[in-house]
Amino acid sequence: MPNSSPYEKMLQECLRGELRVVNAGLPRSQKRLSALLLEEYPHVICSDGSTHFFKRRELEYLASMMNSDEQEALLLPMLIELGANQAEAAMICQTDVEEKVISTILKMPLTPEKGRITIYKPQLALLRKKLKTTTQYVFFPQNP
Amino acid sequence: MPQQLIKVRPTKIELVKLKRRLKLAQRVQKIVKDRLSILTMEFLQTARDTVEAKRKLVDAFAEAYKALSIATGYHGYIALEKELIATEADPKVVAGSRNIAGVRIPSFELRGNGKPLRGYNLVDTSSWLDHAAQLAEECLEATIEIAELQRSLELLGMEIKRTKRITNALEYMIIPGLQATIKYLDMKFEERDREEKGRLKRVKVLVARG
Repeated sequence: MPNSSPYEKMLQECLRGELRVVNAGLPRSQKRLSALLLEEYPHVICSDGSTHFFKRRELEYLASMMNSDEQEALLLPMLIELGANQAEAAMICQTDVEEKVISTILKMPLTPEKGRITIYKPQLALLRKKLKTTTQYVFFPQNP
Repeated sequence: MPQQLIKVRPTKIELVKLKRRLKLAQRVQKIVKDRLSILTMEFLQTARDTVEAKRKLVDAFAEAYKALSIATGYHGYIALEKELIATEADPKVVAGSRNIAGVRIPSFELRGNGKPLRGYNLVDTSSWLDHAAQLAEECLEATIEIAELQRSLELLGMEIKRTKRITNALEYMIIPGLQATIKYLDMKFEERDREEKGRLKRVKVLVARG
């Protein structure tokens, strides 16, 4: 009779590996927009030790839509949470600035609920088109 | 296609283990599917951007050659070549990487060389040359953009292929196999219970007869 443990081990390893891979791009710590604008090569260090570069053009685009206080408050990269529902995602809002940024890009008023703004796939595509390097996905495993 | 049963001992402990394994497999499947959908979305977006960037590149080169021809016609080939020797500069391209759902994508950005002027003599040249130089800079920018997009497209495509294989294995092999085995074991235990009940009844009758 074959032993079941290698099989289970493989699945566990697969789950752990997938989680590690999908969340490898998460930053160890986020940086403020004002600080990134002063850096020559704006970047953050990811959880796997690699670097995530920001495009200066995007940073300048973000800076153009807010005042200096808001630039000080905005933490980058902004995190997009993918959870239970495949049709939608949630933008994690630590301050009001994220809400302003998303509302401006999507050209519609949005209200955060429990620190998150729910956006749908087409809106997510639009957001990612404009903010390729300044947003990052976060995957949350949930029970089926 | 009938699902292949996993060879396990028909015990309750194995059934519990199998159920746990199924739950785990479904969790893995959920994550992998989410990832696949995000990668596909990003791939399509990159493909659209690539088409747009290619069109921009072709247009930019066509315009640049046209402008350069006009400038050459205006100044003469020798005079233009003399001016252009002074414009030689090393463009600074900042190369980094970014991460999309676990895929490392290259990121290039063209930075100016820090000089406010292009290097040629402004007194001896005309605005035709300025225009040609400006268009040539646009060509360079478009080339760098297309390089980033094409590599991104390749990397995303490869990752989608790999993720799809995992999703298919989970969806059509692992999870159905686990479900079929759990069902088989459940039926086996029910059958065993029924046999046990029948046996008990018989024993009861025999005991009653004395």
